[in-house]
Amino acid sequence: MNRLLLAALVGTLTLSACDSNDPDPVAIEAQVATDVAADPGVRDPNTGQVASTGRYTLFDLDAGTVVLDYTETDRADSLGTAWDIGFNGTSIIVNGGPGRAGDAAAQVLGENGTTPVAFEDLTEAPADGYRQDGTAECPAVQTPGGTFPGAPLAVCSGSDNGWYTYVPFPTGGGYIVPTAGQPLVVRTTAGAYAKVQFVSYYQGNPAPADIDETSAGRYYTFRYVVSEPGSRSFLTTER
Amino acid sequence: MRVSLVLLCLAALPAAAQDAPADTTRALETISVTATRTAKQIEDVAMPLTVVTATDIEARGAVRLSDVLEDVPGLFLTDDFGTGLSMQGFSPDYTLILLDGEPVVGRTGGTLDLDRLTVAGVERVEVVRGPSSSLYGSEALAGVVNLVTRLPGPGQTEGAVRLRAGSYGATDAGVQAGVGRGDWAVRALVNRNGSAGYDLTPDDFGQTVPEFSDWTADVRSRARLGAATVRLNGRVAQQQQRGGFAALGTRGELAEVDDDASRVDGSVHAEFARPLGRRLFLRSTLYGARYATETTFTERGTDVVTYQDAFDQRLAKAEAQLDGLWSARHRSTLGAGAQAEALAGERYGQAADGSDARPRASQAWAFAQHEWLPSRTVELNASARFDAHADFAARVTPRVSVLVRPAEAVRLRASVGSGFKAPAFRQLYLAFTNAAAGYSVFGSTRLADGFQTLVDQGQIAQTFLDPAGLDPIRAESSVAFNGGVSADLGRLSVEADGYLNLVRDLIETQPIALRTNGQSVFGYFNLDRIYTRGLDLNATLAPLDGLTLRAGYGFLQARDRDVVADLRAGTVFGRDTTGAERRLSLSDYGGLFGRSPHSATASAELRRGDATASARLRWRSRYGYRDLDGNAVANRDDEFVAGFAVVDLTASRAWDLPRARLTAQAGVDNVFGVTRPSLIPSMPGRTAFVGLGVTF
Repeated sequence: MNRLLLAALVGTLTLSACDSNDPDPVAIEAQVATDVAADPGVRDPNTGQVASTGRYTLFDLDAGTVVLDYTETDRADSLGTAWDIGFNGTSIIVNGGPGRAGDAAAQVLGENGTTPVAFEDLTEAPADGYRQDGTAECPAVQTPGGTFPGAPLAVCSGSDNGWYTYVPFPTGGGYIVPTAGQPLVVRTTAGAYAKVQFVSYYQGNPAPADIDETSAGRYYTFRYVVSEPGSRSFLTTER
Repeated sequence: MRVSLVLLCLAALPAAAQDAPADTTRALETISVTATRTAKQIEDVAMPLTVVTATDIEARGAVRLSDVLEDVPGLFLTDDFGTGLSMQGFSPDYTLILLDGEPVVGRTGGTLDLDRLTVAGVERVEVVRGPSSSLYGSEALAGVVNLVTRLPGPGQTEGAVRLRAGSYGATDAGVQAGVGRGDWAVRALVNRNGSAGYDLTPDDFGQTVPEFSDWTADVRSRARLGAATVRLNGRVAQQQQRGGFAALGTRGELAEVDDDASRVDGSVHAEFARPLGRRLFLRSTLYGARYATETTFTERGTDVVTYQDAFDQRLAKAEAQLDGLWSARHRSTLGAGAQAEALAGERYGQAADGSDARPRASQAWAFAQHEWLPSRTVELNASARFDAHADFAARVTPRVSVLVRPAEAVRLRASVGSGFKAPAFRQLYLAFTNAAAGYSVFGSTRLADGFQTLVDQGQIAQTFLDPAGLDPIRAESSVAFNGGVSADLGRLSVEADGYLNLVRDLIETQPIALRTNGQSVFGYFNLDRIYTRGLDLNATLAPLDGLTLRAGYGFLQARDRDVVADLRAGTVFGRDTTGAERRLSLSDYGGLFGRSPHSATASAELRRGDATASARLRWRSRYGYRDLDGNAVANRDDEFVAGFAVVDLTASRAWDLPRARLTAQAGVDNVFGVTRPSLIPSMPGRTAFVGLGVTF
């Protein structure tokens, strides 16, 4: 399928190269969101316990802005349709599904039977396969009380189920690494498509080699590309 | 036929090598007792074998087993819980270490620290590569290292005093005395090895390698009682070390922590051997060993003991071996044994019913070997061993090997065998909860009960895998193919060996549940399948009398078979240092962590009368050591330790005194001062030493 796509693309490129009025399509330049705080919490200096609020930071991919920060206690904006995805710790929600005002949907490529692909190589959002919170299926979770279906989120929770892998440090503990080759594709509330590459889960986007037990987690840095409304293409002919 | 007769005559006296008078040492340097559990000329061993003699050991100035093995082609030293040995691409826990044929016990994280063992009093170190589980059982999956000691011959009285001092306060001192008479011989030695330690990361509190002192006392003896020979050996070693590190302290700030560790280990080894008639030879051994450690972390300022652990391992073993020399063409070996082990330590907790805090394990085995010479140029060897253990499934491990001598100077070797490695103590009996981090790890025999206890305490939030329905854990096992050729062309000898090990049921930890504190509960499972394959090429040239040149090259691939399948399927991605993602192919795979695909050794040794000079080089290509982009594969440059070459130089001179011989030695190790701070703590850069010895 990818090969067909590539052949079609190459064909298009070759054909369009003959037409000087129609420039070659190029990748839409990615935008970067830095240190989006996902309820990092405060460490109690006496007990060492981290206290967090449980609130999400909501992000609008179309506008490229935080709509509602986790620090806001007035959550009225969470009922709006501006935001597309929200972050709390490693959990990601989308503004679509039962109880959500928007009709956004998302999928992590490489999960739920889809094919992984490098972020840069994804030139067009898939036509289908999108999932919404409340209706999506996730890997089952067993508890002493019995087996329960996983939380029905568009982006399943847990290491190797969604967007990240938990990599143990050789000395104990570990850290969260975004899984390469598994971009998050979002159908936004505005009807555009976005591909999202998570870059770091740590404040200041440190080089992976510099992450240790003292690094502050729950800060998302991610790159994303939003298509023209109505289009699934991440390419553009505009310069 | 001459060669075969020599071989089998030696076979009639399996202990001959150890009984030999010292003045025949040179002739006996070519004997191995490890590869077939019987004395054999090394040229006639069908497995890849390296023998390092006392003469080599002295010329290199080696004092610990690690110093000896670092120069052996095809071997790597590892740096994890002490200095370990990696053979044919395997981790240290896959190689059995023997002292006079009996297992040295005491491993931490799978590593038996080679720095623990002095080579004082050692006649030779034999290294057999490829699985020897068909004779030695568990742990001999990658190979066997045997330290063989020597006793003085009849009429000899000998003694030695050796002193050595070097960089970073490194010292090694030893006194040794031995007496040999017609019917008996005894040798005793005391050795002290120590260092002031060193610090490769001065910005951090605590030395990279702590200050330590390590004492060893060792007695070996033999007496003839009629036709029988009785041996009594004993060894005891004691180490103290004091280090420190910085960690998050009880006050919530970075605190300086003292790390005090002590270790006591020792063994007692009794052997009774006698011929039974003309064709049979019986050897029976009783062996006991103990290994005990204590570790205490004390926070500076508050004097709070933040961690304390004691570990105590005891082994009692009995074994008998019967060799039958049926004719010049047939020889058989039959053996059987049993052993009991007991463990104590905080991490091993209480048994499920609370009755006995010491996990105990018992094990019994039998083995058989037959050697057959169907013609004067072909020798066949078949062996098999059966091992039964209380806590995991019984195993049979066979091996077949063939040696062909198409010409006097040429040997062709081939073998197919199976190896196995029993689950380690921690994999069977661990019951450990990290109080600081809050996670729990259970060995396979403790998992169901340990998990149930956590459920009853309401500490389990989610279960990924219910331990109730699990199959019992299996030993890790391998099928191995070894083949090689060697040619002795006068002043030049060459050797090539290839190997392939297919290993399954590797035991790994896997989370089975999530605790309410967000941390995991881990169990041990038979998960991974790997293969290791490689080629070792070695050449020795003696262009002039007294000059020996050696060169070796090793190629190694150690790979996880599931990772290889995923890479072939194109489902593995990596992220380079700029953040760009890329689909990985098989050529991006750095193999298992810690394995260099290429390595080389070269050495020159010059002897002129009483003077010796030795120069040695060892090189290894880069190797992966961590995963930074979440794909569990070493693929980007900052996931590798850069390759390096180390050069060591040693020179010695001896003088004959009226009643003794004086030897002076000086050496420089790691001449070019290569270091890999924080990655290879055991490599401090350039060091030098001087030594003096008196022998009489």
